[in-house]
Amino acid sequence: MTAALFNKNEVGKIGKAGSTWRDEVYSCHKEIKEKYETLSGFEVKPLYTPKDLDSLDYLRDLGFPGEEPYVRGVHPTMYRGRTWTHRQLAGFGPPEETNKRYKFLLHQGATGINGVFDYPTLRGYDSDDPDVYADVGRGGVSIDSIEDMRILFEGIPIDEVSVSLVTCQPICNISVQSMYFANAQNRGVPLNKLAGTSQNDFLMETAITIAPGVTPPKVSFRLSCDAIEFCTKYAPRWNPISYSGYNYREAGCTAPQEVAFMIANAVACSEELIRRGYDIDVFAPRLSFFLSAHNDFFEEIAKYRAARRIYCKIMKERFAPKDPRSLMFRFHVQTAGVALTAQQPLNNIARASYHALAAVLGGAQSVHVDAYDEALCVPTELSSLTALRTQQILQSETGVTNVVDPLGGSYFLESLTNQMEENIGSILAEIDSMGGIVKTVEKGWIHDEISAAAYQYQMRVESGEMPIVGVNCFQIENEKLPIELFRLPETLKIQKAKLERIKKKRNPVQVQKALDAVTRGCEEGRNLMELLVEGVRVHLTEGEVSQALRKVYGVWNPPLF
Amino acid sequence: MQRKIRILMARLGMDAHWRGSIIVARALRDAGIEVIYVGNQMPSNIVKMAMQEDVDFIGLSSLSGNHLILAPKVIKLLQKENSGDIKVIFGGTVAPKDIPVLKKAGIAEVFGPGTPLKKIVEYISAAATDLK
Repeated sequence: MTAALFNKNEVGKIGKAGSTWRDEVYSCHKEIKEKYETLSGFEVKPLYTPKDLDSLDYLRDLGFPGEEPYVRGVHPTMYRGRTWTHRQLAGFGPPEETNKRYKFLLHQGATGINGVFDYPTLRGYDSDDPDVYADVGRGGVSIDSIEDMRILFEGIPIDEVSVSLVTCQPICNISVQSMYFANAQNRGVPLNKLAGTSQNDFLMETAITIAPGVTPPKVSFRLSCDAIEFCTKYAPRWNPISYSGYNYREAGCTAPQEVAFMIANAVACSEELIRRGYDIDVFAPRLSFFLSAHNDFFEEIAKYRAARRIYCKIMKERFAPKDPRSLMFRFHVQTAGVALTAQQPLNNIARASYHALAAVLGGAQSVHVDAYDEALCVPTELSSLTALRTQQILQSETGVTNVVDPLGGSYFLESLTNQMEENIGSILAEIDSMGGIVKTVEKGWIHDEISAAAYQYQMRVESGEMPIVGVNCFQIENEKLPIELFRLPETLKIQKAKLERIKKKRNPVQVQKALDAVTRGCEEGRNLMELLVEGVRVHLTEGEVSQALRKVYGVWNPPLF
Repeated sequence: MQRKIRILMARLGMDAHWRGSIIVARALRDAGIEVIYVGNQMPSNIVKMAMQEDVDFIGLSSLSGNHLILAPKVIKLLQKENSGDIKVIFGGTVAPKDIPVLKKAGIAEVFGPGTPLKKIVEYISAAATDLK
């Protein structure tokens, strides 16, 4: 039985009075803009009342934190019981340098590691590949072999600190996560003690950061499921995938698309793992999500809440899990990089603070705050410290952690949450009608949807409809850059020398054996991570693994434009 | 009939970001310019394709920070092939101090973050008139 929260008679009266107010009072005043809408295009009214929530059933639609449908949060106590993880992204140059940055951030109070890898590593190339020399160490840390992984985490208590590996693409993840696991075992830390996350999202490889040497969508998807399966069996505290809505959004999609694409991806992975013989409750509690916090404050909070509710409903309907954790949408948030400006870069501190506030009011489990210089370069020590301090100020000084889901019950926010959920649902239905997420990627549909949305967004910036301070309004002419920019330390030489040394020292017979095992494993459809956690121990490099995979599976020509 | 302006657009090296380059490509196409978008490429391929396609411009995009290494290479290779008349422009994340370096290397114009699309279209249209 359902029961509307508000008394029908009263709602009727409020509705009537509201219309009168709108027609006779509000309409006598001028508005500044012609139309009011959210960043993703939801129309916004001047005022919301119980009339907008006339069918809201509190227990069914909102409930309590830690209970279905989890709109109000996945934990009963939320930040009163445990604060969100302060997980600042870091990575640049050779592992020797990034190791220092990790230690610096941990020493300054970061509570988790968030390691990003350089472009060649993300795409599965070694540093000595002739096509990558200009990008080694850029955008992240360079990892070629298990030796780099050893150096990257040297002196860091990996049995205590949770580590997020921003491996993005499955072709990177399958090797790099294997190196992390094998390195942990070499250090005497058993896999079942390791806490962390790997990104491992096939959409990253086939629709979001498309690049040379992409494996076909089906293969990329399969590699991501291999990692999920491996962790399900051996590393139960590890989140083997982090559906990377953040990056879909950075590439240009809207808020509801961000959530819908992630959930469609999670549904596909669940179906595949079930096909492989696993019970939903064995792996689903470890599926995790990664979202953006963009400029539209309320829309973002509504997005997080709607995502929790619709995920709970969908998982329940499709897979009927018994473990409530299989229904929980747990997520990390990064403040929107795409919202930062190169102009007047210190303004980005203000932007990222609002973004982070939205993430926390939306109930994020873990947050990264962007540094003020990220539209110009990799963060310096000062800018990354300022970003970390932004989180610490939010947590300890503002009081926002005192109440669970403090904006729940707002007529506007609840109404927007409903609209958001409805829209996510219709995108999901569209993806279903096309045969699921892998098919939509193969068709190029996802890429088209995102690039069309990105273009529309830009048109709104161009027309001035979307003001961006310092870019299309409040500019400073001939601005002098008020900050020092990051300088990349020497990387290519160091990585190449290390690779040369490793290749000389390793046992070529063992390496060949490991490589052959990978090739055979591909052909036989075996779980490749099972082979690679062993294979990388003999210093098989990431590039060698990817080459072997590309040889068997071929490369895919992704949609470009 | 006048020949359309032709531009080859590429992302340099391993750079992952396509948002900017695709938006620019769409805007140029909407402005009547013929765009040949080739995705991620290394300089030698970019020059080869630009010559095959007989373009007036090459548009390079990168946000990874590889621009000081790869963009000047494109210019050098063009000169080697006697195709120095193809104008090369660059867009992406660039520190202000890098702009004069790129220009000195022969990049005709550099468009940093936040550049209005209109400015890029206008630049190309004007520069194309100069070419004729």
